[in-house]
Amino acid sequence: MKKIALTVLLTASATAAISGPVEEQIRFRQSAYSFLGWNTGKIKKQVVDNPESFNKDYVAAAANAIAAVANSGLGELYGPGTDQGIGWKQTRLKPEFFQKKDEVTAAANKFNEAANGLAKVAAAGDKVAIKEAFGKVTESCKGCHDLVRIKE
Amino acid sequence: MKVTVHIWDLPLRLFHWLLVVSIAAAYITAKLGGELIDWHGRIGIFILGLLIFRIVWGFLGSTHARFVSFFPTIPRLVAYLKGRWQGVGHNPLGALSVFALLGVLAIQVGTGLFANDDIAYEGPLFGFIDKSLSDQLTGWHNTAFNFLLGLVVLHVIAIVFYRWAKKTNLVVPMLTGKKQVPKVLAETVISTRPSGVGALRLILSLIISCSVVWGVSGGISTLYPVDRYQQTAQATPGF
Ligand code: HEC
Ligand code: HEM
Repeated sequence: MKKIALTVLLTASATAAISGPVEEQIRFRQSAYSFLGWNTGKIKKQVVDNPESFNKDYVAAAANAIAAVANSGLGELYGPGTDQGIGWKQTRLKPEFFQKKDEVTAAANKFNEAANGLAKVAAAGDKVAIKEAFGKVTESCKGCHDLVRIKE
Repeated sequence: MKVTVHIWDLPLRLFHWLLVVSIAAAYITAKLGGELIDWHGRIGIFILGLLIFRIVWGFLGSTHARFVSFFPTIPRLVAYLKGRWQGVGHNPLGALSVFALLGVLAIQVGTGLFANDDIAYEGPLFGFIDKSLSDQLTGWHNTAFNFLLGLVVLHVIAIVFYRWAKKTNLVVPMLTGKKQVPKVLAETVISTRPSGVGALRLILSLIISCSVVWGVSGGISTLYPVDRYQQTAQATPGF
């Protein structure tokens, strides 16, 4: 009986350790980026791959979601030590992240500007302008990935 | 006494230089990203077409394009390394390089077809496999490029080496198709022109490579739709 209680206690504390602050930050940022990927995918479908299917509100909703994530202050999820650890999966943040603060800030700002720019033109609904603004967004995603994300 | 022989037929030379240009273009578009990743995919599929063409041409092409004519067998390699090899087309070491390049290129293109960039691009066959497998193949795609680059560098070094150390120009024959060889050797060579390139065999090769490109770039997905986002809304749902 005591043994079982001890096991339960140990397991519980181990679980608590897994969802400690570092792991939580990793988990939240992985969620945020996955959500971004869902929304860029939707815009790509309706604006680039299959322009006949363009639906203004649908694209604007996705663009707003991207801008909202960009403006939510994701930088908070990059605390010290978050280059190691498992969120939904092992993090792919490069340890150099912490030495490249200026470059990272520049890349992140570029993304934020592009995201807000896209949200603005998406509200207006001009497909050509949206396509161009969307290209800037995906370019900024890649810019940051090349900089701080460990390659597959 | 030297005479001029035709060694590289026109389709082979076109293949070679189109491949050079497209690999450079594929690299640049992959690195720049943004909207260009779509072009990277298109160029990659064009490279697939080139690759299939070269493989078919390795059986149907003119003498020196055929794999059997230069397959690097152990005896041929040994003879070459001992300086006893005599021939006009690819020498056995060069042949090794050809097969290595074609092999790595096949891996590069094959993995690319299933790759994704986690942003807004998926290879045309992505839908047939899981995301996690696609991520793994994307990793191979990145790694394969280092091998491809290594082989290309070796290839270029070899050409420079032949130019300066052995006084043999390998570039001009790949442009003109013609090469100066000793008369004794030339007599063993069946000229690849005009009888070497059969129009029928060329058309057959083109049909095969175009069919593969068509299949990969849409044909297969049309016949077997696997669009995993098919069910998603076309308009914003109520919540
Ligand atoms: C500020 C830098 C930065 C920007 C900008 C950025 N990313 Fe990322 N992204 C990352 C990092 C770092 C990771 C790895 C996170 C981890 O594993 O801890 C990542 C991971 C991802 C993942 C994988 C998530 C997972 O764990 O499954 C996706 C998908 C993704 N990003 C998409 C995007 C898209 C789409 C954009 C642009 C709209 C974007 N990212 C912009 C840095 C960035
Ligand atoms: C059908 C053909 C191809 C498809 C669909 C394809 C697709 C892709 C995708 C999706 C990526 C992004 C991977 C990532 O961001 O991690 C990528 C990257 C890359 N591809 Fe391809 N590819 C193809 C062929 C090729 C070929 C033929 C080459 C080279 C000759 C090539 C070279 C590269 C390189 C170098 C990268 C890495 C880019 C980087 O470091 O950011 N690809 N490819």
